[in-house]
Amino acid sequence: MDSTSILLTLRLAATTTAILLAFATPLAWWIANGRSVTRRIAQAAVALPLVLPPTVLGLYLLVGLGPLTSLGRAIIRIIGHPLAFTFTGLVMGSVLFSLPFAVQPLVAGFSAVDRNLIDTARVLGASPLTVFRRIIAPLSRAAFLASAVLTFTHTVGEFGVVLMLGGDIPGVTRTLSIALYDQVQEANYAAANRAALWLVGLSFLALLLLYARSSPYQESDLV
Amino acid sequence: MSNPTIQPRFHHGIAVHHHVGALHLSVDLNLTAPWTVLFGPSGSGKSSILRAACGLLSKRDISFTRTDLRLGSIEPLQNATLYTPPHRRGIRLAPQNPSLFPHLTVRQNIAFAHKAQPGPGSPGEQDHREELIANAITLFRLTPLLDRRPADLSGGERQRVSMARAFAAPHCRLMLLDEPFTGIDRTLRDELLPNLRHGLLARGIPAISVTHSVEEAFQLQAEVVLIRDGKVEDQGDVSQVLARERERLLENVNSLR
Repeated sequence: MDSTSILLTLRLAATTTAILLAFATPLAWWIANGRSVTRRIAQAAVALPLVLPPTVLGLYLLVGLGPLTSLGRAIIRIIGHPLAFTFTGLVMGSVLFSLPFAVQPLVAGFSAVDRNLIDTARVLGASPLTVFRRIIAPLSRAAFLASAVLTFTHTVGEFGVVLMLGGDIPGVTRTLSIALYDQVQEANYAAANRAALWLVGLSFLALLLLYARSSPYQESDLV
Repeated sequence: MSNPTIQPRFHHGIAVHHHVGALHLSVDLNLTAPWTVLFGPSGSGKSSILRAACGLLSKRDISFTRTDLRLGSIEPLQNATLYTPPHRRGIRLAPQNPSLFPHLTVRQNIAFAHKAQPGPGSPGEQDHREELIANAITLFRLTPLLDRRPADLSGGERQRVSMARAFAAPHCRLMLLDEPFTGIDRTLRDELLPNLRHGLLARGIPAISVTHSVEEAFQLQAEVVLIRDGKVEDQGDVSQVLARERERLLENVNSLR
């Protein structure tokens, strides 16, 4: 059993989750707070990875971040090498691919917070940031948890983008799902089974955490 | 049945000019009594006036906008080029729906405004804030409920906490109450009302409330403003306004015969 793949997978999932929570929170708040066309376009763009084949996104990232585009050339100038086939490139791909899994639960959570509570807090002298910190964030705890768990588990199980963008470099981009694929290709079914069990275990534990810690506030309490 | 007690004179008011859906609010209130009651049929715009004063009418829902606050001088709060956000207006509202924060205890709800605003600049200010909270708890008889969550309270208890929370908020320049005693039994209301009125008077804060209770208006020695279709139809001492309204109603009934 390749422990490097397990650690790499956990590192990739944790990094992606941390980046996405920081990025998705303001994005989800913006989407949840208006009905403008711009917001609906942003919402559709965010949801795109849900319906796109992962290989499509992987291909675009591979080409986009490579020396054929001005963005790719700029990145190579700055960091000295292309992002493809590196851990940083993998993180970038995972962040884009898991974006809807982070944003959608937060949009749903923020939209469910009673507007009257927000209005009341504002009239009591709370600035928009304080309203978010003291009212919206605590009442959206379940949404934050769902967002984190779904992003983490989705990244753990990612295959197409990782294969296209990361290649299959041991210790750098070979995650558990890629290792599992390799072992099946080599007819090493015992090792493949162990990798599969790790993936099942990690995903189950994350989902158990999500369902065990449901919100203590029911909608009927929001009076 | 007007009370002959001499009351302090205030010079305050609000001007609200908005189109809210089909309703055209056009109200210019110049008030001198410490407590003003807005009367009127449902849908006449009473609650919208309070929400406009607080800055809570969504820009999507309104057009032709002007809100001014009059406290001595006229202070524009909202017009074509200006919008003072609710947290900078110093106007507190106890809404019709108590809207208690469900994740906070009663004590934390009442202290919310203090936690939400920048910390007290001096020990004196800190003492003042703590005194406001303690007074609100005593005034609304909430001591036995302090550690409970809103879900464990009755409707009347929630209403009392909502009023206490607005009352305890610092830097209050105008207090608005939207049907504040709904769900509170009459005996308790009769005890709370004079204390609330006295507490606001002691801090020099004028109050405007929406109510359907004639008794409440008399008890508060309030100036009454009759609102119909978003406009002021009558204004003055409670007994005079209600007498005129009664005459109007009788005329209408007689004309139907």
